[in-house]
Amino acid sequence: MKTFLATFLVVIVGSLVLWVSTDEGRAFTAEEARRLEIRETPRSVPDWRLQNQDAETFRIQDWHGHFIVVDFIYTSCPDVCLILSGNLKTLQKDFSTEEKSDKLRFLSISFDPEKDTPQRLKEYLHHFSADLRYWMAARPINPSQKEAILDFFKVIVIPDEYGGYTHSAGYHIINPDGKLVAIFGIEQTDELHTYLNQVLEEKENVSKS
Amino acid sequence: MYPKAKQAWLLLAALVILALPPMQRFLEQSMVMHMLVQIPALAIIGWMIGKILPENWKNNIAPWNRWGITGIALAIIIMTYWMLPRVQDAAISEWPVELTKFITVPIMGMALGISWPQLNPIAQGVLKLEFWATFMRLGWLYLDLPDRLCANYLLSDQRVFGQLLLLAGSIWAVAWTLRITFGIKIINN
Repeated sequence: MKTFLATFLVVIVGSLVLWVSTDEGRAFTAEEARRLEIRETPRSVPDWRLQNQDAETFRIQDWHGHFIVVDFIYTSCPDVCLILSGNLKTLQKDFSTEEKSDKLRFLSISFDPEKDTPQRLKEYLHHFSADLRYWMAARPINPSQKEAILDFFKVIVIPDEYGGYTHSAGYHIINPDGKLVAIFGIEQTDELHTYLNQVLEEKENVSKS
Repeated sequence: MYPKAKQAWLLLAALVILALPPMQRFLEQSMVMHMLVQIPALAIIGWMIGKILPENWKNNIAPWNRWGITGIALAIIIMTYWMLPRVQDAAISEWPVELTKFITVPIMGMALGISWPQLNPIAQGVLKLEFWATFMRLGWLYLDLPDRLCANYLLSDQRVFGQLLLLAGSIWAVAWTLRITFGIKIINN
């Protein structure tokens, strides 16, 4: 009887722990967990000062009132960032109609600020033939700020075996109120597209009414 | 054999060495070291602590753990928990999770060590087969998966981990077959 009770207790408590630590069985990896967390509890983005491709100071606050899609890159990246920003290029084309592109902004933040000078950021944007009115590349001003930004977005960057980096790849959506509201994976471009369409339309209706 | 008190100190020292920050960093820098060196080491330490527990403690536990069932259930749950990729990531970035690892994994080893010998031989056989299958399944999965499961580890690392799991599973299978068909004992279990 004692054994039965003890086993019962262990199994119940254990299952509960597993249930809670996977967000009710919905997130098994850290990447899934951060996407889920943001969807359920959007967080206000601190007003960091970054340096953009024209060596000007840029504050996230400057784009208040717009939807911002943020991706994390380093300019010497041979693979993932090219796909990430390549998709942004497609998005920019898709949303290029005047009223939509004005509500949408793209921000590529470099996590390799030592190497990614404004000049290199500019080249990076040119590589994707970015429309510079709506798409900016920027780098953190100092290492502690870089850490703060990566921590906030829960982006993990690790050095790879070729002298580059492997990093969480996704699209981070900041809404017009300056809140991080959604994260899409690099494989979720269709969902991202649908999402942006939807929110931009909603915004249009709100501003009309 | 050392006297029990001395063994206890040695095990405690081993635990402290594993917990030293440089040692932690070294063992957690790759998935292979984390999963196949650090966690098994913690489990083995727990197993050995279980062996030198005072007799009266063991006698107190025994009625709650007949046929080793409670202990095995506990061990399986702790194992499952530490197989979640997000928990591995969290252990690296959040110290409370790391602390939990240093407590629960030795407990898992201890529970296994105390309960396994009492377990019904058929249950032992089923579990062994299931552990083996888990090695093979996860090995295959890790080898084949195009995406990283842990944000802190490289894809190449994940592949090596998969290969090692398959290798360990295969060695286990061969040793087992030899034992069943020819009675050759390579490993004890």
